[in-house]
Amino acid sequence: MTHANRIRVLNPVGEVKPHVLAAPALPSDLRGKTIGFLDNTKANFDRLVADMGGLLRERFGVKAVVLRRKANAATPAAKEILEELAKACDVVFAGSAD
Amino acid sequence: MTLRSEVLELADSADAVYAAFCERDWCDGLPIIPPTAERVEAMLASVAGDPEESLGPLPPLWREATLEKLAVNAVMAGCLPEYFPVVVGAVEAMLDPAFNLYGVQATTHPVAPLLILNGPYARAIGMHGGAGCFGPGFRANATIGRALRLILMNVGGGWPGRHDMATQGSPAKFCYAIAENEAANPWTPLHVGLGYAPDRSVVTVFGGEGPHNVNDHVSTAASGILNTVSDTAATLGSNVKWYLSQSQLLVVLGPEHAATIAADNFSKDDVKAFVFEHARLPLGKLKLGGMWGIQDWPRWMMAVTDDQALLPVVASPEEILVVVAGGAGKHSAVVPNCTFSRAVSRPLTRLRAHPFSTP
Repeated sequence: MTHANRIRVLNPVGEVKPHVLAAPALPSDLRGKTIGFLDNTKANFDRLVADMGGLLRERFGVKAVVLRRKANAATPAAKEILEELAKACDVVFAGSAD
Repeated sequence: MTLRSEVLELADSADAVYAAFCERDWCDGLPIIPPTAERVEAMLASVAGDPEESLGPLPPLWREATLEKLAVNAVMAGCLPEYFPVVVGAVEAMLDPAFNLYGVQATTHPVAPLLILNGPYARAIGMHGGAGCFGPGFRANATIGRALRLILMNVGGGWPGRHDMATQGSPAKFCYAIAENEAANPWTPLHVGLGYAPDRSVVTVFGGEGPHNVNDHVSTAASGILNTVSDTAATLGSNVKWYLSQSQLLVVLGPEHAATIAADNFSKDDVKAFVFEHARLPLGKLKLGGMWGIQDWPRWMMAVTDDQALLPVVASPEEILVVVAGGAGKHSAVVPNCTFSRAVSRPLTRLRAHPFSTP
């Protein structure tokens, strides 16, 4: 529709349908906690995690570190891996080395 | 028809509208057709469904792919209303989980969804599968392909460097849409091979790299041409082979190459078998770079120790798709996939009555 040298056009950007997700709060203290790492398989993530796991134990009193690896970087982690990490860990870091 | 999109009032000049859309990151850098309500309504009238109907949330930002938003972007791309059912069918196909659109949108790899249209609707709307089909000059190809990209950017939210993390991108990300040249195909067209009737109109999306050229000016037998195809399909830098279970190859044979191969009494399955057996790389070469060390291979391939052993780039001949497209000349193309997306096909199911031949 055009009015006196003006044109009315529509916004092409999509809109998000609101979703409510309930996520537990992160622990304020990592002492005695179990930390998980989800390795995306890209080069050197395993080395980074080895160092981070050591630091978490030494400096923050983390009880255990669980490392799991996806089949490859391009697909989501298997349901079994996610379920295992959710069950065993208090906090999980998703790896994104590249 | 009730439209829900935000309305902007702009100066009614091509320059002003173009500038306004560029400023907002709402276009691909090229001029657009202003998406007025009248144009969007005409687009929507070509498909069954309400404007607010969503085909699903489109990654990576998970915005709803409503028919209205798809239509706004199709108008901007320059689509005629009769092109819109193809755009909608392609979005439906891309939202199949097997296509892994999140990966296609967000990866550093230069992948774009290649749209292939088969069946009578391709002919009805002038979707081109002949000379220069991957290039410019054909409104249906250019605007349908562009509409998909605008949708992926504006609805999906995949902007270069911001959610679309492609290191270099690809010219194929502007527009990547062809018809199969069914008239020049000595075998069955792609959709018939997938089990659809020849008179169905079917859109296929394939998450591929740009076309890799296959120049063979000298071979007069199937084996020669397919040796060249196979060599083109097996390169260290391409994604296929590193994640073997997800690797697919699309072989786009030019009509002259296809005729030569068929004259040797090769079936399409023979083509696939030959390429599967010959598109291989020696273990020693695979060790030189690429994704060596982080590959995802079956146990038997991981156990190979002979550097001379020739390893396949796809898991089986069935992972090789063969279509015929192009015009005169001795060129074909190989389109390797991104290895995290499988080809998906959908019949056009939302067509409303139109002035063309019945699909």
